[in-house]
Amino acid sequence: MRNPHSRLVKSDLCSMILLSICCTALVMFLSACSAGLPVQRESQKVENDMLAVRYSILFIIHGDSDYLYHDTAGNKYIADEEALAGAKRVAEENPLAEVFIFHQKPMSHFLFFFPLRDGEFYYYLNGRLIANELYWRDQELSNLDIEVDFYNSFRAESQPGTVSMFFYFGHEIPEFAGAGYDASYPDRKFTVHDLASGLKDFISDSIKFDLLVLSTCYGGTPYTIGMLGPYTRTIIASPDNLHLSYFDLNSLDSLEISLQDEDIPAFANRFAQQSFDQLIRDIQTTVSVAVYDVDRVQEYLHSVYTTYESTLNTLNEKTQASLSTIEHCDCADIPEYVLPTMNSGVNVFYRPAIFGRSKSKQNHSGWECWKE
Amino acid sequence: MKALIAFGSIFMMFVLAIPVNADGKDELKQYFSKAANNVKATENADEKREILNESFNNMSKILDQVLSSGLISESDRVGIEQYKATLQEKQSELEGSNGYQRVPDAQLNIFADYVVQDMEQADQMITISVVVLLLIIILIVLLV
Repeated sequence: MRNPHSRLVKSDLCSMILLSICCTALVMFLSACSAGLPVQRESQKVENDMLAVRYSILFIIHGDSDYLYHDTAGNKYIADEEALAGAKRVAEENPLAEVFIFHQKPMSHFLFFFPLRDGEFYYYLNGRLIANELYWRDQELSNLDIEVDFYNSFRAESQPGTVSMFFYFGHEIPEFAGAGYDASYPDRKFTVHDLASGLKDFISDSIKFDLLVLSTCYGGTPYTIGMLGPYTRTIIASPDNLHLSYFDLNSLDSLEISLQDEDIPAFANRFAQQSFDQLIRDIQTTVSVAVYDVDRVQEYLHSVYTTYESTLNTLNEKTQASLSTIEHCDCADIPEYVLPTMNSGVNVFYRPAIFGRSKSKQNHSGWECWKE
Repeated sequence: MKALIAFGSIFMMFVLAIPVNADGKDELKQYFSKAANNVKATENADEKREILNESFNNMSKILDQVLSSGLISESDRVGIEQYKATLQEKQSELEGSNGYQRVPDAQLNIFADYVVQDMEQADQMITISVVVLLLIIILIVLLV
């Protein structure tokens, strides 16, 4: 026979457990939706004992898409998580640097209905994490407004001789159309114009970045380099496909040693060489890393601008279905792009895919075009 | 009992707070990675070729079934056909047809890696919708 008293106690206990779970859920929900969530912000505390900032490094890591890849042992990696870990390591190992990291994450929900913040910001100064905040990314435009606001409110006063670098990690940045770049916002557009607009705001005091690294597929096109060129002196990009293991960031460890001579172009070439060596070790697909001296490539860019833009206009009018059949190719394969200035200001590290139709292609001009 | 159900529901809500893009692409990538692991697990070159061939054939069959299902949009159809053509190229290279030299026995392991890496390249599946990917995954589970 059941004991009614014990049943009552059991029921009370269950109600209490349920109540406490609801309270926890409510607290978590309120935390997730609060206007600001400073996990850590120590800017006041470090002001007194801060070292001079010689390096200012900005990472934008796009993670709102399919970024899964496998290594040759079959282990799974998420490219943006790996890039984030690399950026944090760089931040911690450079005591003379300030490092901004923006991780653009996929939209997720709490209890199915309540959207959670889809961006995370980290600010490191002198090797220490000073701020870590969750934020809402732009919901409609993608011109990096929010990231620029964070950058302006945290950055140390610019010193003469400070070396500034910008890194972007993600899939190929569209040169036209641009819808679907973010899996969470399929209608929102993101193009190289939006990145250029963001860069313009990041350098509002008219000091260009010393180095811009585009860790994406097909970043080395005349159009993309032309669009981003006004905001930097040197660009590293991959003209062909880039494996999701991205460019190697080990060159950024201990910048006070690797950049002792303050020779950015030489550093850029070492970075590219190291990334190339790292990629060809395990990757069987095409590996291409190019270093662009922005001033020296201007003449070539001006010469091919009209041709390239005309191609983009044609592509822009095509339907989504027909666009998926359009391929990239080395600009050197298209006669209009083969000019005497083509190789000026470009240093290319290239190895063809080990298999496939292009395995015998031994060189790349460093410029990628659209095959119409 | 009601309390337990409520607790279970809330727990599931926590668990299911997943990113919206955790769709079928991961499973599709996993498919070729598993095949590559199986290739490396055997010493026999004929077996390696058989594993690779089988993985291409099975995936091609699945894609054909999706194409003939009548449930897909024009954009999906183009995406699937492109994906299928990429697979066909790899199969041709494996066996040495369509102008390809046959992949040497000694290179079958790195060829398997090449297949995984090429299929994982960012732009390969970008035009296939989530619904179609899920359909492909269901067929992988049912037929492979």
